[in-house]
Amino acid sequence: MTRLPAGALALIAALCGTLALSACATRVERIDVDETRDLSGDWNDTDSRLVSEEMVRDALSRPWLDRFISEKGNLPAVIVGEVRNLSHEHINVATFIGDIERELINSGGVQFVASKNERGEIREERKDQELNASAETAKRMGEELGADFMLQGAINSILDTEGKEQVRYYQVDLTLISLTDNRKVWVGQKKIKKFIKKNSFRW
Amino acid sequence: MPPKPLAALVLAAMALGQGACVGIIQHGGELDHYLSNNQTARALELIESRRGQSRNKSIYLLDKAMLLRMQQQLEASNSAFEEAKNVIEKLDAISLREQAAALTVSDSMRSYLPRPFERTLIHCFKAMNYLELRQLDDARVEILQLDELFKQQDDFQLPFARYLSGLVFELNQEPDNALVAYRKAYEAYRDSEREIPRLLQEDLLRLSDYLGLAAEHRQFALEFAVENWPTQQQVRQQARAVAILNNGLIPRKHSHEIMAQSPGDGQLHRISTPFYEQRNTRVYSAAFGSDASVSHAELFADLERHARAALNDEMPGIIARTVARVSIKNKVVDDTREQQPLLGFALNVAAVLSEQADTRAWYTLPQEILVMRLELEPGLHDLQLKLSGSLRPDASHSWQQLELEPGQTIVFSLHWPESYSNLRRRYR
Repeated sequence: MTRLPAGALALIAALCGTLALSACATRVERIDVDETRDLSGDWNDTDSRLVSEEMVRDALSRPWLDRFISEKGNLPAVIVGEVRNLSHEHINVATFIGDIERELINSGGVQFVASKNERGEIREERKDQELNASAETAKRMGEELGADFMLQGAINSILDTEGKEQVRYYQVDLTLISLTDNRKVWVGQKKIKKFIKKNSFRW
Repeated sequence: MPPKPLAALVLAAMALGQGACVGIIQHGGELDHYLSNNQTARALELIESRRGQSRNKSIYLLDKAMLLRMQQQLEASNSAFEEAKNVIEKLDAISLREQAAALTVSDSMRSYLPRPFERTLIHCFKAMNYLELRQLDDARVEILQLDELFKQQDDFQLPFARYLSGLVFELNQEPDNALVAYRKAYEAYRDSEREIPRLLQEDLLRLSDYLGLAAEHRQFALEFAVENWPTQQQVRQQARAVAILNNGLIPRKHSHEIMAQSPGDGQLHRISTPFYEQRNTRVYSAAFGSDASVSHAELFADLERHARAALNDEMPGIIARTVARVSIKNKVVDDTREQQPLLGFALNVAAVLSEQADTRAWYTLPQEILVMRLELEPGLHDLQLKLSGSLRPDASHSWQQLELEPGQTIVFSLHWPESYSNLRRRYR
């Protein structure tokens, strides 16, 4: 039997084989929410959680809190204002704010009041209660807890790229501002630096 | 018809020792037809029906994002753009398998990696989507990514992208960053020997004055023949409306074909290379107006020029790969025919059929981008964009009862793909 030249075999393989795409079934694996898995190098849930935990811990360990409690005799009421994403990435700031709120509330060190958007819905409900709920259970207007401090901040980033290598530097700045007199009572900063090396080759 | 590549191919065919017949194969057309007739829903159905090959995923996603944008589904458009960015990032790595297939089968066996001007435009259109959604921080993210992309492609500039960056920074209340971006836009227009748009001239004069850069302001004042430009104070007291018209459709690639048969052994040969058709926009001018004032369109980006330049840059590589591929195929067919004539013939037919130019590109892009801007008194306004030259009866667009506040800038965009090609087509 005549054997085919190696080149012909290669060409046939190229013509036929490259047309066929390998089909792989999607694989799903459940992992613990606290487990760190960096895939792309982008800002992820771990960054959000670690930054919020560390910054809230820092905020609550500073003298402004004890000073306020000794002066006023109660826990300060805090509201989260705008946290701007000034980085190179589309970061879900709502998740980050959620992490900060959770940390602050669970710490028990401060009281927390609803944000501007949340308040609108609550006020609607209160208005509805005035009309429809019984007098004993209806909650009255004008008895909201006013915030003492507002937390504002920004997420910034600096990229340094050379070929397939990149250093990403994130800086999260948060500031706690007194609503009474605009004093900044606490400024927190957390930095994250990542080195990312992308593949030069793929299948 | 670009003469140089064709001449090179004819020479290549002659070198193979055969007489050659030269022709053109037209590609596509249905998508352009739907777009020119504003049938974006049918265009979306068409691209959905054609999806499937993973090597064309980037094009599918870019077309989808653009069509969703034309339908004003801006959030869905941004999701598709983001997915396209992720796909493209992975394609940056070289696939040896695809390179081998390109050398043995056809260039179109490789995954489509958008060209630098196309990659730049992904960020531009995404930023425009965010501006229209009034998500200024997100538009700013795109602009920062765009800046990073420019750093990686230091030999490529799209001046419009720089201008858009300036606009986004201004809307984010960052006049210093805006001036830097406008300066880069100015330099890019100047370096590419394009006319500096008057709106950009006004912005450079205004911000260099506001930021106290007297020497630079004097230089701009001397260079630009602009006597009246709004000061930063006036901009803060007034409102602004910016209209971006994405006019026409980027030309389509077709292929030059050279078919030849060896007189001695009857072996068939084919060489196929891409070229851009000539395409014209129907709309030749546009005016954006309110009751009080009118702004006439200025050309900010000629995307056809960028597309042609990109293909010209690629041509040496395309020709080198084509010649190498044809040689490999010929050698293999010759070797096989000596031992198994029938298989050699079948292999020759397969080799000829598989030899096709890569005519893929992001075809839902406009041919040009025009910008208009109105300075308005704060309050209620009805705005209208009128297009001249269109054959369609609905050649205008209006935005009713817009409440504008002092210092506010509102951005609109409109796609008008109506255009025609000089090549004859058959549509269903």
